[in-house]
Amino acid sequence: MSNKLQIRRALLLLAFLAAAFGGLAYRLVDLQVLRHDELSAKAELNTQREFRQAPRRGDILDANGNILATSISVRTICADPSLIGNFQPVVAHAIAPLLQMNEAELAQKLTPRLYRNAQGQIVTNGLHYVRLAKNISDETWNQLTAAMTNLTFGVDEKKLSRTERGFFSNLRRQAIFSEADQKRVYPNGALASQVIGFPATEEKKTDGHLYSQISGRDGVELSMQKPLSGVAGWKLTETDRAQHELVALRDEDVHARDGLNVVLTIDSAIQHIVETALAEAVPKYTPKSITGIVMRPKTGEILAMASLPNYDPNQPNTITPETRNRVITDVVEPGSTFKIVVVSGALNTGTVRLTDQFDCEHGHFAFAGRVLHDHEAYGLLSTVEIITKSSNIGAAKIGIKLGEQNLYDYAWNFGFGQRTGIPLPGEARGILYPVKQWSKVSIAQIPMGHGVAVTRLQMLSAMAAIANGGWLMRPMIVSRLQERDGSVVQRYAPERVRQVVSETAAKQMIEALKTVPMKGGTAPEAQLKNYVVAGKTGTAQKAENGQYVRGKYVSSFIGFFPADNPELCISIVMDEPKENGYYGGKVCGPIFRDIAERCASYLNIPPDPKLMTNSPPLVADNNGRRL
Amino acid sequence: MAKNRKNQAAAIRFGPALKASFLCLLIGGSAVGYVWQKNEIYRLGQQIRQRETKLAQLQGDNKRLSDQISILHSPVMLDRRTKELQLGLAPATPVQVVRLDEPVAPAPQNNMSRQFSQRSVNSVTP
Repeated sequence: MSNKLQIRRALLLLAFLAAAFGGLAYRLVDLQVLRHDELSAKAELNTQREFRQAPRRGDILDANGNILATSISVRTICADPSLIGNFQPVVAHAIAPLLQMNEAELAQKLTPRLYRNAQGQIVTNGLHYVRLAKNISDETWNQLTAAMTNLTFGVDEKKLSRTERGFFSNLRRQAIFSEADQKRVYPNGALASQVIGFPATEEKKTDGHLYSQISGRDGVELSMQKPLSGVAGWKLTETDRAQHELVALRDEDVHARDGLNVVLTIDSAIQHIVETALAEAVPKYTPKSITGIVMRPKTGEILAMASLPNYDPNQPNTITPETRNRVITDVVEPGSTFKIVVVSGALNTGTVRLTDQFDCEHGHFAFAGRVLHDHEAYGLLSTVEIITKSSNIGAAKIGIKLGEQNLYDYAWNFGFGQRTGIPLPGEARGILYPVKQWSKVSIAQIPMGHGVAVTRLQMLSAMAAIANGGWLMRPMIVSRLQERDGSVVQRYAPERVRQVVSETAAKQMIEALKTVPMKGGTAPEAQLKNYVVAGKTGTAQKAENGQYVRGKYVSSFIGFFPADNPELCISIVMDEPKENGYYGGKVCGPIFRDIAERCASYLNIPPDPKLMTNSPPLVADNNGRRL
Repeated sequence: MAKNRKNQAAAIRFGPALKASFLCLLIGGSAVGYVWQKNEIYRLGQQIRQRETKLAQLQGDNKRLSDQISILHSPVMLDRRTKELQLGLAPATPVQVVRLDEPVAPAPQNNMSRQFSQRSVNSVTP
C-alpha cells in the first residue's frame, strides 16, 4: 500500500519536474534558437560600440614644403540633455563664457523640447544629443571639463540617495562631451588663395550622430579632393557601464588612412613677390582686375599664379564671384600678344623671313570692306619691326600671306580653343572658330588678336612654347602626392604636348621678341638691367554688346628671360586700367620688370655677362681666387 | 592471504590525501589564475587605451608644432617679420653674387624647383 503511494508520489514529482524542465527547455529553445537573431542583436546593441575614425585631410604644400593649407584638430562640443534634468541654467552659467555663447540661448539648447516638424510629426530637439559649439580648441575643452567637474548644485549630496548621487555624477561626467573634429586653416591667408581654393564642411548623420567632412569647393582643394580626403577608419568594440572601452573585447580596429599631402609647383616666395607687385600696381593704375603668372617654360611648372581681387580662405565671407581665378576662367581678346602665333607660324612655314618687308599703309589698310588701323603711321616695316612696333597692319598682311587654314592650325596647335589641362576647376576653353565660320575680315583681324578669345594661361603657354624651342608644355600646378612622412606616392612629370614650330623658327621669333623691350619697342619699361628679355605687349579694346568700347582696355605684357636660355616666363594682364596709361608696355611692363628682378635674385639666375654693366660677375675657383 | 583493512594499524595514508590536496590546489589555482589573468587583461587593456590616447595626443602636438615651425619659416612670414623689424634687408644684386667654378651637383629631388639654373630637362616626357 505504502509502496504504491510512494510510487504515485514519485511519479507526481517526476511529472512536475518533467513539466518544469520541459518549460525551461522550451524557454531555452525560445531564447537560444527561435529568438536568437533578435536577442543577439539586442545584446550587441547593449555592449558593442562602433567608433568612427575620421581621416585627417592632407596638407597642401608649396614646391619647397611650405604649408599653404593644413588641418588642425578641434572639438565639437555636444550635450546629452536627458542627463541634465532641470539644471540647465546652472550648466549654462558654467560653460557659456568658455564657449562664448549667450547663457539663455545655451540653456534653451540644453532643454529637451517637443515640437511638430514639417511633416506634422512630434519630434524632440535631441533627447540625448545636441551640438553646442564647433571648432573649439583642446585648451578650451580642458577648461570646460574642469568647470563641469567643479559644478555645485546647492544641495548636500552626501545626504542624497544613491540614485540621486548617481544622477549628479553622470551630469558632471557625461552630460557635456566632445567629438574630435578638424578645421582647415590657411597660414598665409590670401596667398595663392585662388590656386589653393577653399573648403566647405559637409555633415552626415550616422547612428544619430552628425559627422563633419571637409570637402573642397574650388582650386586644388576641389581638384585633388580624392587624394586629400583619405579613408575613414572604424573601431568595433565593447564598453563597460561607464562607457570605457574594454580593449580586450575589441573586435575590429581599422585605422583611418590620412589624406595625402599635395605638393604644388607653386613657390610661395615667388607667389608672394607676384602678389606684392600686383598689389602695389593696383592703386597706381586702378584696374578692375590684374593677374600675374610665372611659369618655367622648359617644364610648364607654374611657380606663381595670382589674380586680384582675391580672397582669404580663412574668411569665407571674402569669397565672391569677383575673386575668381581669372587666369583660367576669363576669356578676353588677347590683342597684339597674339601676333606671336601668326609670325612664328609664318616663320615656321617659310612664308616670311625676319628681313621681309611689308608696307604698313601709313596706318590705314582697307581690307574686305573694313579699315584696319595702327596706333602709329608706319610705312615699310620688316617682320622684326612689325613685332617691335606691334603693327596691326603688318601682322594682318603676314596672316593673309600665311593663309586661313594655316593660321587656324597654328592657333589650335598653340593650344587656343581648348583647355590646357591644368588640374584646376573652372578652366575655360576660349574661343577659336573653325575656318568655315570665319568672315572675310577674320584673316586680317585674328593676327592682331581680334576675333579670338583666350585665357591668360593659354596665352602664357603659347609664349612659353616659343621660349622652349617650339615645344608646347602642359601647365603643371601639382608636382607630387606624398605621405605625411614625405615619401612620394605619385610624381607628376613635365609633359610635352606637341612641337608647334621648329626650334629654328622659335629662335627667329625670340630674336624678334628681344626687340620689344628695347628702346624703339613697345615695352622699354620691361627691360632688365642684367638679363636680355624677350616679350610682347598687348592692348585690346574691350567689346561690350558686340561693339568695341572706347576707354576700356585689356593691357598685357608677356615675356621671358634670359632670352637665350629662358628660365622664367611671366605674364601680366590688367583689365581696364584707368589711370597712368593703358598700353600694355606702359602699364604692365614695369610690373613685369619688378617681378622678374626679384625672382631672378631669389632664384639666383645667372645674369647675362654682356649686360653686367656695373662690374663683371665674380667667378671664383675652388680656392676662392677670382678667375 | 587478503589483508584485512580493519586490522591494519591506524597508519595515515598520505597518498590519497596528497592527491586530493593536489587536485584542490590545481582547481583552486586554476580559478585564481583565471581571475588574475582576466584582471591583467583588463588592466593591460586600460593601459593600451591610455597609451593610444597619449600617442594620438603626442602625434597631434608634434604635427601642430612642426606646422608652427614651418609657418614661421615660410617666406611670407619672414618677409613680414623683416619689414616689422626694419632690418633693412634687400635682395642681393647679381654683382654681389660670387659664383664658384665647380661642377654642378645634381639637384635634390625634394627641392628641384629652386635649382633653376641647374636643372636639366632630361626628365621631360616625350
